[in-house]
Amino acid sequence: MSKIFHLSIIIATLCIIPTISLVFAAETTGEYLDRKAEIWNLFFRMMTVAFVVGGVIAGTMVWQVWRFRESNPKAKPTPYEEKGEL
Amino acid sequence: MVLELKRARPVWQIMFSTHHTDVGLMYLIFSILAMFIGGAMAIALRVELFAPGAQLIQDSMSYNRLFTAHGTTMIFLFLLPSAAAVGNYLVPIMVRYKDMAYPKLNAIAFWMIPPAAVLVWLGMADFGWYANPPYSVISSPAPAAEMWIFGLKVLGVSSILGSINFVVTILKCKHPDLSLGKVPLLAWSFLSSSIIVLAAMPTFAAALLMLLTDRLGTTGFFNPAMGGDPIAYQHLFWFTFHPEVYVLVIPAIGMMYEIIPRFSRRPIFSQGSGVAAFVILSLVAFASWAHHMYATGMTFTEKTVFMIGTLAAVPASAMHVFNFLATMWNGRIKFATPMMWAVGGIALFFAAGAGGVVNSAMPLDFITHDSYWVVGHFHLFVFGTIAFGTIGFFYYIFPYVTGRMYNEKWGVVHFILAFVGACITFFTQHILGLFGMPRRIYDYPEIDSWVSMNALISVGAMIILVGMCIFLVNLIYSAAKGKPANLHDPFGLGGKYYYPYEQRNPHH
Amino acid sequence: MAHSNWAEWIYVAVVIALLVYVGAEAWNIENLIEHVPEDAEVIKVTAQQWFWSFEHEDGTKEVGELHLKKDHAYKFEIESKDVNHNFNIHEYVVLLDAVPGQINTVWFSPNEAGEFDIQCREYCGLIHYNMRATLIVEDT
Repeated sequence: MSKIFHLSIIIATLCIIPTISLVFAAETTGEYLDRKAEIWNLFFRMMTVAFVVGGVIAGTMVWQVWRFRESNPKAKPTPYEEKGEL
Repeated sequence: MVLELKRARPVWQIMFSTHHTDVGLMYLIFSILAMFIGGAMAIALRVELFAPGAQLIQDSMSYNRLFTAHGTTMIFLFLLPSAAAVGNYLVPIMVRYKDMAYPKLNAIAFWMIPPAAVLVWLGMADFGWYANPPYSVISSPAPAAEMWIFGLKVLGVSSILGSINFVVTILKCKHPDLSLGKVPLLAWSFLSSSIIVLAAMPTFAAALLMLLTDRLGTTGFFNPAMGGDPIAYQHLFWFTFHPEVYVLVIPAIGMMYEIIPRFSRRPIFSQGSGVAAFVILSLVAFASWAHHMYATGMTFTEKTVFMIGTLAAVPASAMHVFNFLATMWNGRIKFATPMMWAVGGIALFFAAGAGGVVNSAMPLDFITHDSYWVVGHFHLFVFGTIAFGTIGFFYYIFPYVTGRMYNEKWGVVHFILAFVGACITFFTQHILGLFGMPRRIYDYPEIDSWVSMNALISVGAMIILVGMCIFLVNLIYSAAKGKPANLHDPFGLGGKYYYPYEQRNPHH
Repeated sequence: MAHSNWAEWIYVAVVIALLVYVGAEAWNIENLIEHVPEDAEVIKVTAQQWFWSFEHEDGTKEVGELHLKKDHAYKFEIESKDVNHNFNIHEYVVLLDAVPGQINTVWFSPNEAGEFDIQCREYCGLIHYNMRATLIVEDT
């Protein structure tokens, strides 16, 4: 349940809110599109995606490297070690 | 074993040899030499950039020559020959054949490289390794430019000859009992990268010739006054060199495919997926070249097409990352030096790719184009992925080449220094680029954020330098005085995981 | 190879979904920023080794400095007299190559007064590192 909640928060922030603001924003002050803001906004959204994915991948790798290292007390031989070849 | 220093063979015997293990050894020694030369150039650049104002290098022209030589050396004289070294050594063994398909051509392809290197290093052209016109035609001094052009011509031919050899060896000379699908993934990586070279390199050969004739004044391919277009060169250049960066990375991924399953004591999660990913990557590599040219004034539609082409290559790379992680899962992993380098390389590969996806988004190129973000990004690929995979693999084949073991403790120290140094140097460069610092500049104004970040980056580079010096000492000392290795299981994995490496070198 | 690969297929599907998102957002924003307003004042930017010169619509010429007014729209027509350069006002994310033989256009509207750096972002030789100018945005 909490996974779905977190996922929907992320989707809302990254997709729905910017889309709605884009569609409905009446650019009153300044009249013209703020190029700088639009581009950096996109950048930060891309960074959010990149760091979330990166966190998952890096987290998986760190956990894996720790859990499956041969010096781990829980380490057990792989099925291929009995055969002696891959 | 080809380099047993205690039972030395005559040097001329190695130099005139056409056996794949000897040619591989020569590529190996040359590429390591070039790595240190290119690295020394990088250190000179970073010392200069440590603070604003002139430090080590007194004029901008020398700086410009150094960064051009650094890029050219690292790509053409270190990374490509190091891949050729590994390929020459192992591809015949992997396809169970006695040598490469064309041994004499193999030796010729190697021997073209040192003269080309001399041309490049004596010339010291100043136009960056892209050699973009009009600068490279009308503004760059002779004879440096012509020497670079001829040097690269020769290197291109060498690459093509080597690629022909790999393709024929793998496709035509493999053992009849070995189906193509079961050929090891490292061999597949050489097949893919060689086919890319054959398809992509001729375009650059044409571009080089056009640059030369433009410089001579006979033609105006890139001269608007004569009806030419400078952007045409960029299309030709990047049509070759975007696929070429895949030529660089694919063998390094292949090398990780050798190391990771063995040291995890498990087979590769999916051979088929690895093959498919290599094939897809080779094809899609050709669809994205103009993402290097987003700032040249392309139309919206053109930029969109190349953005889609760029993004299309990401799933194939992601498949490799998945394959590696799934291979390690449920394994019993020995973190000897080669494995550390391979796993560190995967982590930095992902980071490089993520930064690349950001770059490929068209509007974001307006922030990052030709800034230190790009420098950080591609260095995470060439150093963080390719050099990590390559150096890890060098440690792996060290016992087979020399018959001795390197010093494991110093190998680990080297890895830690390189990884920490790489993170400090290249991640900071990403941020520096976001703050607007352009690349290829000799000096920079005293903007506080730029000054502090440049100093940090230079410190990171020094950390890498220390690691590399340790590497050099380890290599030389262990080759001469290291403990003799158990060639049936040099890493103590406890199984018959290796190829029959006792390839018959006719001189032994 | 006899094991099931469903995890990998899901993983690839997620990767592709993310990439489609990246591509769509990028397409969207690029579309938005490329739409030049009709009343944008044209500024001719000329790049040459190793300085920037500007010409306003009314014929005023400036070298090394560009005076613009806040909240007005400006369209740069960028050209080069010799080699490739790249016109870059990093603070306003304006960036486009200056290529001899063609005119590249980009528009923006400065929404803050002050002084901003203009720099060259394409290697152009000896003084590329110092090919700078100043953008001065005045309050209207």
